[in-house]
Amino acid sequence: MFLRPLLQPQATWLDNPHPRRVAGAAIAAVVGLAAYGFSVGYWRSPMMGAYVAIKMPLLVACTLGCNALLNGLLGLLLGSGLGFRQSFLALLMSFAIAGLILGSLAPVLVFITSIAPDATSPGADTAHSTYLVAHTFLIGFAGVVANLHLHRLLAAKATNRNAATVTLLAWLGGNGFLGAQFSWVLRPFFGMPNMKVQFLRDDPMRGNFYESVWSSLTHITGGPVEAGFVLLLIMAAIAIPIVLSLRSYYQPRN
Amino acid sequence: MDTNPDPTPPPQMPQLQAAKPASPNPVPPAAQALPPGLPAMEPPLAETLDMRGLFEALLRRPRDLVLWLARPGNGAIGRFGLLALVSFLLFGVVIGCFAKHEQLWAAPAKITIGLVISGLICFPSLYIFSTLAGGKVSVQQLAACFAGALALAGLLLLGFAPAIWIFAESTDSYGFVGTLGIGAWLIALLFGLRFLKTAVFAAGGTGKGPLVIWSFVFALVTLQMTTSLRPILGRDPQHPLTQEKKFFLQHWGDWFGETQKLEATAPAVAKPTS
Repeated sequence: MFLRPLLQPQATWLDNPHPRRVAGAAIAAVVGLAAYGFSVGYWRSPMMGAYVAIKMPLLVACTLGCNALLNGLLGLLLGSGLGFRQSFLALLMSFAIAGLILGSLAPVLVFITSIAPDATSPGADTAHSTYLVAHTFLIGFAGVVANLHLHRLLAAKATNRNAATVTLLAWLGGNGFLGAQFSWVLRPFFGMPNMKVQFLRDDPMRGNFYESVWSSLTHITGGPVEAGFVLLLIMAAIAIPIVLSLRSYYQPRN
Repeated sequence: MDTNPDPTPPPQMPQLQAAKPASPNPVPPAAQALPPGLPAMEPPLAETLDMRGLFEALLRRPRDLVLWLARPGNGAIGRFGLLALVSFLLFGVVIGCFAKHEQLWAAPAKITIGLVISGLICFPSLYIFSTLAGGKVSVQQLAACFAGALALAGLLLLGFAPAIWIFAESTDSYGFVGTLGIGAWLIALLFGLRFLKTAVFAAGGTGKGPLVIWSFVFALVTLQMTTSLRPILGRDPQHPLTQEKKFFLQHWGDWFGETQKLEATAPAVAKPTS
């Protein structure tokens, strides 16, 4: 079956990034993410589900499309051993894996949604919060699995294992940075109970994800200095494992 | 002093490959068994390289490219220079999209001119410092390597351009887009300088110190250009080029201070909605 090579990827798959192979991975990613997207928006309304079914694959397509050149260049420069098309296919495959994991859970999520308090009920706010946490966990889980697969592929092709790690980190940084902004532009995804159902918010390009995070941080902590301190702590928590990886990259190996 | 901490294996010299006796075994090179862990040998670069070949060599085989650049009349300086110019111009257009109007042509012109001037005034010191580092590289070869480094940085800037455009269209914050642009330039510059280091080391260089100092100087000059040629991000139709002399750290400090004040008085940014 076509899904097996995607879920159990072999490094040889990347040797020939044939258009049919790319199309297959793209279709798997689109179908999986669309199914999952529907289950995400369905709680708010079936129309919202349809919107998110379109937007979820669109989010990945925009991120991969805009960063295609950068990902290809970083892949080559950091010693991943992959060319432009191979880098694109590797990343697409990792998104396809995440999409398939999430898509496979869509029927369960739709079932849970259909028995949960709906968006107009008195307990909607609690249900919405629970939903947010649950989906964050699911997306995180799918992301970890997909990136572990991607790392395995990279490690098989790269000049050494550390080059694979550094390439993966660079790709994660670039795609995460831009993907967060695209998720801001393409919001809403979950659909707040008190806001109308729409494909995009009015004036979707206004503001950006990071300003919003900064604004929320200053609001929560009480001022820019405190917010800066919290931000530094968060960044340190993210940076420490990255720096450790980079250090091992530059250490001579026996 | 630290010499070469680069963990990658030493460059495969084309001369050595050429001196190797032909194998009596007719098995194709790809099929010959290599000890595990050793990368397959790549053939030397072709006598003449077109634009695509240069581009590929720059990304995939920088050491071989450095040796290839030692050949007289390779024409790489012009082609790398063209690649760098086009990349800087396109990146400048993206930066100009933030303020639009006359900045759509002024920003690319200023960024490109600034980088060309930076390159020209820093090249003499690059030759001296690379020689101090032990490199036995000719002026022409070094110029080609420097142009290659700038072309590589330009290509990376092009890679960052879509992301910067998205943010330039979605925010009014000078600080945010400025930081993003400078960040992209510093990352791109890092890879360009890494290529230069590869070039000097492939030509016999052993000392990292002089190159680090020169890299610092070059980065400072390019950052100072952002202040000397201002406004680049914002716009001032009355004064397209400032006459005020300022050090870039002072300018950025003033700028962030003003931005903070403006943001404190402006309405809050759009609240996140799930």
